[in-house]
Order: sequence, then C-alpha cells, then structure tokens
Amino acid sequence: MIVRFDNVGLAYEIGAESLKDVRFTLNEGEFRFLTGPSGAGKTTFLKLIYLALRPTRGRMTLFGQDVTDAERDMLPPLRRRIGVVFQEFRLLDHLTAFENVALPMKVAGVNQQQYREDVRELLNWVGLGSRMDALPQTLSGGEKQRVALARALVSKPDLILADEPTGNVDPQMGEKIMKLFVELNKLGAAVIVATHDLQLVQALGKRTMRLDGGRLYEDPPMRASGRMR
Amino acid sequence: MRRFSRAPLLPEAGQGGAPLTAVIAVISSLACLALAAFILIASASNAWTDELKSSFTIQVKGVDAEEIGERLKSAQEILSSTPGVENIKVVESKDAAKLLEPWLGKGNADALNVPALIEVKLNKEAQTDVAALSERLQSISPGVILDDHGGWNDRLADAARSGQALAFAVFALIMGAACAISIFAARAGLSANQEVVSLLHLVGATDDFIAREVQRRFTVIGLRGSMLGLLAATFLLTLFSFATRARGGEGFFLPGLTIGPELLIPLLSVPFAICLVTAIAARLTVLRTLRETY
Repeated sequence: MIVRFDNVGLAYEIGAESLKDVRFTLNEGEFRFLTGPSGAGKTTFLKLIYLALRPTRGRMTLFGQDVTDAERDMLPPLRRRIGVVFQEFRLLDHLTAFENVALPMKVAGVNQQQYREDVRELLNWVGLGSRMDALPQTLSGGEKQRVALARALVSKPDLILADEPTGNVDPQMGEKIMKLFVELNKLGAAVIVATHDLQLVQALGKRTMRLDGGRLYEDPPMRASGRMR
Repeated sequence: MRRFSRAPLLPEAGQGGAPLTAVIAVISSLACLALAAFILIASASNAWTDELKSSFTIQVKGVDAEEIGERLKSAQEILSSTPGVENIKVVESKDAAKLLEPWLGKGNADALNVPALIEVKLNKEAQTDVAALSERLQSISPGVILDDHGGWNDRLADAARSGQALAFAVFALIMGAACAISIFAARAGLSANQEVVSLLHLVGATDDFIAREVQRRFTVIGLRGSMLGLLAATFLLTLFSFATRARGGEGFFLPGLTIGPELLIPLLSVPFAICLVTAIAARLTVLRTLRETY
C-alpha cells in the first residue's frame, strides 16, 4: 500500500476544515486522476501526501508507515520516494534548468557522475536539451513546467504527484506528458494527477476521484475515448 | 560549463555576503589586536620581572661618611665572594647626594648623610641565594639593607595579570560578537530563503543537509573576512612596532614588538577560531530555526 487515509481531516489555523473525513487508499501501480472545482482542496490533498502538511484529524499512512505524528527525521526518506510536479513549478531561480532537475539527486547525496546522464536525457526528452544552462527566469511557462516535470521524475520515484501538469503546455506536450505518466505507471510507479482537463481524464480511462467541498468521492473508472491511443 | 558547477543551493541574495564579510573582517582584526595585546603584556611582564629578579640594590647606611665607607668595603668583599654576582656598581654617598640635587638644590644634600648604594647584577643562570646573601650583609650591620625589588616585582606581576585578563575578556567579548552576528545572519538568511528551504525539504533534504549548506557558506565568508581582518591587524601592529621603535621605547618600557613567529602563529589561529565560531553558530541556529519554523 502506497497511501492510506483513514477519516483524515485538515484544518488550517483559521477557518473550517479544508478536507473532511477523507478515506482513501492508493496501492502500488495504481493511477488516479483527481478532479474537482477550484478551491475544492485538490492541492491540499496532494500536500498531505507529499508531507508538506500533516492531518489535523484521522490517520495517514505512507509507504506502510504511519506518518500522522511521525518525527521529522522520518520524513526525508519518504519524501525522496515521491516526485512532485507543483502547479506553480517551484523552480529555484538561482539554479540552471540542469541544476534544478538534478536537485533531488544532489539532496539524496548521489554523485554527479551518476546522475548527469539521466538529467541530460530527461531534459532532452522534454525538449529542453538546448536550454540546460538557462535560468528559470529566462524560460517560458511551458518550459518551466517541463523542467519541473523532469525534476519530479529524475529520481525514479515510487509515487508521482502532479498538480495540473498540463496547465501551461500546449496540447501536444500535454499528451506527451500524460503518456509519460502512463508509461511510468506501467513500470510500477503509482500516479495521482490533479487536473481540470476532463477530456484528458476521459481519454485515458483511468480511475478518477473528485474532491468537492473538502470531501472525496471516488468515481467509477471512465471509459477511454481513445483520443490518446 | 555552468550546468556542472557546484552552485550553492542557497542563493547569495538575502544573506548579505559582502556586509557580513566586512563585519567579520572588523571583528577579526579587533580579536587579533586583543590577542596581540595579551601576548605583548605577557612578554613585557616577563621582561620586566626577569630584569628585576636578576638585579638588586644594597643600601649602606652609617652615622658618618667614614662608617658608610667601611661598611661599603665589607659589603663589596662579601659580594665579590658570592657566586653568581656578575657586576656591581657602587654609588658613593656623594654621588647619591648629587642624584638628589634636582630636588634639594645644589650642596644641600651633602649635610644629609645620604646612604651609599650598590647596584648588583646577577647572572640569570647562577641561581644565587639572595636570602642568604641578605643575611650575610646584615651581619655587617643592620644598616646594610638588601632590596631585591620584591615589592615592585609583585606589583608589576599583578598589573600584568590584570592587563592580560582585560585583553582576554576583550577577546572573549569579540568572539561572542562574532557568534551573535552569525546567529543573526543565519536567521536572516533562512528567512530570506524560505521558498528555497521549503523546496529543499519537499525534495527530501534533511535539516542536516540544509544546515551543512549554510555552514559551508558561513565558513567561506568567515574565512574570507577573518583573513582580511588578520591582514589589517598585522598592518596596524607593524605600524605600532615602528612607532614604538621610533620613539625609542623598545627595551625601556615596552619590549620591542616584533612581528615574528611568536606573535604571528597565535594570530594565525584567530581566523580559524572565528571561522569555527561563525560556522558552528550558523549551523546550530539553522537546525534550531528549521525545527521551530518548518
């Protein structure tokens, strides 16, 4: 089991709960879409999984470990098993595209000789082979998105979380990115993609969850439209 | 190529690299000067006490010049048979009276029956038993008094110890200031780089990893600043040394300040001490702040 939520609730210091009584299980190799209107709590839900927030109620298990009240020393090894594509990219402006993508490897203490080729390959794959030395402020929104994507995938994570990963790229690149997620999922990584793009969701025919008013609803799998075959 | 560079993960901006370097340079130069003062006082104190310990004065009193002359002769005989006496200089009553002329006026001191003096210089290696010598001189007459400058010696040693304690206290205060500045700068740096620190955490960085990044940066700034401070302090000490020599102070009150290994080796330790203090203070601050804030 990759993720398990038991009656999880999350309230910020001020205001009502953003997530209420969430029950959810994600097993190895599963692919889920997360949909819902803006402000429904999609990003908060993902933040809980990538351990940027802790539940204020209920229990949460990640990679088989209860992380509800886990000591902070326990969190970094778990975070390294998760690749996150943030909605707002969160690239470091003082690092080049190459250095941004290499960041998780550097943090994990991997020797540069070992990851250099992987980083190059990923950047080439996302079409940024010629922009490896570019600083984020010189990249377009779509290019930043692709750097963020490469950074999330470089460490070959067991769980990939993507918050609107196709929001800033053209439809072709969007399809390419989604196909990559599907391929990585076939290789064993569990994937959760939060998106507004219902066409994309329908095209892939994967299981879908919907967040509305802080509550999670599991929808039956959608039938693939075949658009992305 | 930039892509393979070892770019720092925490950006330069926000941590005030140049101002911090300048502040540490000033702190380092003050610490060097305080340490130099400590060493100079220790060296001056040793020179003074060595000088006092290897010499003494014998005062020869008598009812008249004749008696003083006789006692002076006996004392000289005793001194000549004492091992370790290197040199003696007799100041006869009339010469001693001349020394008082500036205060008493010419010829006025002759009537005072001024005691004769013997300045004795000892061989430092000989370890002469001054107490036994004093007893032998007293056997001539209670009017033959050996003054071993003990009172002066004790007062000088006390003064030197106070001076050293003061210099050390100043040094410790300066180190404390270096520590406080590092804590402040590390906190400001973390605050200015909140987004970077947060992202590092999210990609799996441990607190220790982030603290190491900050520590590395502070070590570089600390080393750069404190080496500049050492250079400035060495320059000031060289000027002081020239000024002392030009005034002829060397060998009289201050033992000449020589910029040699006995001074430079301790001074060289200051940049490393400051580096250590700033790096450790920054590291501990980061670890604490991360636990409190993130």
